[in-house]
Amino acid sequence: MATKVKEPVAAAASINHGSANSDNALIGNDKLKQLYSTMLKCRLLEERARILKKQARFKGNYYAAVGQEATAVGSTVDLRPEDAIAPSHRDFIANFIKGVPLTAMFSQLYGRSTSPDKGRSAPAHCGYAPLNIITPSSTIAAQLNIGTGIALANQMKKNDNVVVAFSGEGSTSLGFWHEALNFAGVRNLPIVYICQNNLWAESVSVKLQTKVEDISLKAIGYGFPGITVDGNDVVAVYRVAQEAIERARSGGGPTLIEAKTYRWYGHSEIDPAKYRTAEEVEEWKAKDPIAAMERYLSAKKLFTPDWKQQITDEFAKELDAAVEVAEKAPQPEPIECLDYLYSFDIRERELNRKIYSPQF
Amino acid sequence: MSVTYLDAINAALTEEMRRDPGVFLIGEDIGVFGGAFGATKGLLEEFGADRVIDSPLAEGIIVSASIGAAMAGLRPVPEIQFVDFITPAMDAITQQAAKLRYRSGGSQTCPITLRVCYGGGTGGGLYHSQTNTTWFAHEPGLMVVAPATVSDAKGMLKASIRQDDPVIYFEHKKLYRWPAIKEDLPEGDDLLADLFHCAIRRPGKDATIVTYGFMLQLALQAADQLAEENGASIEVIDLRVLNPLDHDTILESVSRTGRLCIVQEDHRTLGIGSEISATVAEQAFDCLDAPIVRVSAPDVPAIPAAEPLEQFYMPNVAKIVDALHRVLQY
Repeated sequence: MATKVKEPVAAAASINHGSANSDNALIGNDKLKQLYSTMLKCRLLEERARILKKQARFKGNYYAAVGQEATAVGSTVDLRPEDAIAPSHRDFIANFIKGVPLTAMFSQLYGRSTSPDKGRSAPAHCGYAPLNIITPSSTIAAQLNIGTGIALANQMKKNDNVVVAFSGEGSTSLGFWHEALNFAGVRNLPIVYICQNNLWAESVSVKLQTKVEDISLKAIGYGFPGITVDGNDVVAVYRVAQEAIERARSGGGPTLIEAKTYRWYGHSEIDPAKYRTAEEVEEWKAKDPIAAMERYLSAKKLFTPDWKQQITDEFAKELDAAVEVAEKAPQPEPIECLDYLYSFDIRERELNRKIYSPQF
Repeated sequence: MSVTYLDAINAALTEEMRRDPGVFLIGEDIGVFGGAFGATKGLLEEFGADRVIDSPLAEGIIVSASIGAAMAGLRPVPEIQFVDFITPAMDAITQQAAKLRYRSGGSQTCPITLRVCYGGGTGGGLYHSQTNTTWFAHEPGLMVVAPATVSDAKGMLKASIRQDDPVIYFEHKKLYRWPAIKEDLPEGDDLLADLFHCAIRRPGKDATIVTYGFMLQLALQAADQLAEENGASIEVIDLRVLNPLDHDTILESVSRTGRLCIVQEDHRTLGIGSEISATVAEQAFDCLDAPIVRVSAPDVPAIPAAEPLEQFYMPNVAKIVDALHRVLQY
């Protein structure tokens, strides 16, 4: 399946195109099974989040990446704790893949005082400082720029940590996206940009975002390799991402990976996505990355329905436990609204304004 | 040695870069060129191109790369050459830097010190003269400072770099080489200035002027002129910090003088004077003996280039004296 990878740009724009994983390098069976099981868990996690949202168990919105699991898993499954992730609003599952506890993630959805952001940001905007995951904002492409700064710091500190920065195809229309890639190219920064091209930016087709067929072409303009990969093929994504990550770690600079994929559901849980045809959705559901990996593993005799059921059952219990913890966790106290603004406290100043009277 | 405001900035950067290897500079023309006004002269030579980064011409990435580097433990000091060009970085400043600590529940922070050159009166025209301090004073999560003296230029910059919050440091281009404010700063002293309080630059008892930046010079001249004219005793407060505002020093002063005149180079509507007026009206209403008066630029875009237009736009000593007359004679 990895042969589906297209490399329209790498040859033209490649600088120091050293490859750690040549096309012949085998990915071990354990890794293949891990890629599958992680995707499956991501799917189960998000479907649970969607149910909880529909049941109004938490407020706010949720932006499911169901259908895009291969891209998220393939590109982040092997990151080290010291590596950073710059997630967008649709990368909630990147937290899980990097190892964020489910209790923290569900506390995030529920806006509890125990959530990583103390109930502040938004349900799906999960970041996690201990694992270097930037808490996302909703302004598009901002995370790429901040992630680029983390890469700058890593380069200045002469360590070999990398940054994986996510964006969607819609964000490539913003000047900010280009500022980040341009700067990373100029400074040869250790960062991998993953553009998840799911064809729709909310309701707007990719055809209205860019004239090029492959977004990876844009890397040419910044002087580093760009590559388009089947974003529903986890093995292909993994292979391409590993090469890019290894290049970044070893001082070879940034890479832009375009993963062509599709979100099964609307932009958010309140978007029925009527701007897409049923045929298009069905066509992409037929390219389900998890089902594809099942076929792949089956051919290698690495898959059984029992194994899948076992993962599903065990993970359901983990999800149940995390949901229970989140639901029982306390809400923030109202007064905590005033906290975490500065390194100093502003409560006293906001609450006890002194009234002055004439003294003369 | 008597030094200028610009020398003080350069010295502060030099000292902080020597003290902490995590301090680095990034901005347009700051390296080889030494800065559009010379604020970073000599720093590339001493600290090298990795710590004095000549950035691409892109304010957004100057600030956001700094945010990321600060998250990763460094102490970036990005520069915006003219505040007029800060708008491409507005998302980075107001949505990212200002909100990162809050949105991450205190777990992620970005202690950057964004040096911004601002201010008019030099014939720079619409896009080299603006005073957009209010945009940032309005944004919780940012600290905004505007030193008006040479000592503050140095001490506040050094303190800002060590502050665990994003600080926007507004430096007025007219003060860079303003001879009257040169000061003797002892060399080798680790001069750190307070980042939380106003300073009373001239004590008085009949009325209070609140101002900041270059306007402080004009306010002090106006106060002197009134003292000569009719013996009026005008207190002059240098705001120093525009966000978060030090209400108490202002309110305490007004409670003594009963009269308030606010002088700002920024235009009028929703400027810093509006906030101070409202605060005084809310918290010291009984202290007021006269309506609050604001001296500001009119509500037109920035500063027109032609000299008569610029003079009409900018507050000056005569306008402040006139305002003080109105406040005192009410």
